[in-house]
Amino acid sequence: MDVPTQISKATYPLQRKILAKIKQKNPRHAKKLAASLNDLGEEFYKRSEDFFTKYESFLQGQGKSIDYGVESYLKMVADTMYEQIQFMHSGEYTCKSFEDAYRRVYNNPVVMNYYMHGLMMSQFLWRHHYYIFQFFTTRLPSFKKRINNYLEIGGGHGLYLAEAMEIIGDSADYALVDISESSIEIAKSFIANKTVQFILADIYKYQVDQSYDFITMGEVLEHVEDPVSLLSQIHRLLSDDGVAFITTPANAPAIDHIYLFTDADHIREIIHQAGFEVLEDVSFYTEDVSKEKAIQLKIPLMYGAFIKKI
Amino acid sequence: MNQNAIYEQVAIIFKDILEDDTLQLSLSTTPETVEDWNSLAHIQLIVAIEKSFGIKFTAMEAEDLNSIGDIVDTIGKKDYKV
Repeated sequence: MDVPTQISKATYPLQRKILAKIKQKNPRHAKKLAASLNDLGEEFYKRSEDFFTKYESFLQGQGKSIDYGVESYLKMVADTMYEQIQFMHSGEYTCKSFEDAYRRVYNNPVVMNYYMHGLMMSQFLWRHHYYIFQFFTTRLPSFKKRINNYLEIGGGHGLYLAEAMEIIGDSADYALVDISESSIEIAKSFIANKTVQFILADIYKYQVDQSYDFITMGEVLEHVEDPVSLLSQIHRLLSDDGVAFITTPANAPAIDHIYLFTDADHIREIIHQAGFEVLEDVSFYTEDVSKEKAIQLKIPLMYGAFIKKI
Repeated sequence: MNQNAIYEQVAIIFKDILEDDTLQLSLSTTPETVEDWNSLAHIQLIVAIEKSFGIKFTAMEAEDLNSIGDIVDTIGKKDYKV
């Protein structure tokens, strides 16, 4: 299969260019992308083109082109493939501790750089990322009236925060806490709004004399040794009637994933242990296979939930 | 085990993983000539080949196995078991 026909050269030139480049460098992976990005609807293609246009502009500001993003993405895909091979043999993630992840990724500027850019690209190349984002954007409006303070933890590209600001409006205060300086720089470039507080901090050590009405934390729980302890920190930062939006994958080996969630029930159990109840949740397999095959092959599952204090 | 024998064993694995006994395979078969040889199938193929031959591919080898010929050659250079 070639690049999906809906992604025309005239309307979506950047997506077309990215997918063509991936096809040239990694035809096996391009097949998966072409199949999974087919028929996602105009809304997806428009958002995707907008996202990649902003990202390309960020890269150009650093003297790089979108090719740098594609090359970074393909390195991350290769790393992840190798981790998946090890996972299918052993049933375990190769990173056993934060120290392992720190040594392999966070304290290795070369790896950290391509990994971060690869993850950026995956936001609109991986269908399950978009499904979770859609779940967030369609449900958030029902909570907006009670949100005066909004916090995002590990904001990455800032896509979720930008969308939350669009939905909730100017009446709320917004803050983003991230442990990575380069992630904060990217988020700042994506969120052209001077009222947002960007805070460089380790969330475990983040002390503040206020609570937040809404907290978003996307794909962070799998990067820690003790997810209950991280969720407990969110519990402390969240107002009593506040709501949090959490995402994390199960069976998803990656070079810096530490905590292995085995399925959605396992994630719900950890959420419950930290003193939360699930208001609404969704999960999506990352491959287009039957549920039986997904369980048999331990295909990664992406999970997202709105939660509140018990 | 010579190259032919390695190829025969690899071909059986391909037909099994891709669930198609009628696959027309050769040393020059690539992901571009076999529709179902996508990224997920590639991972399954590597795992099955590693188990069958008692070998481990390096990360770079796993990424660069772009034809059945590549796979057969790479296995041939390793200390595989029959």
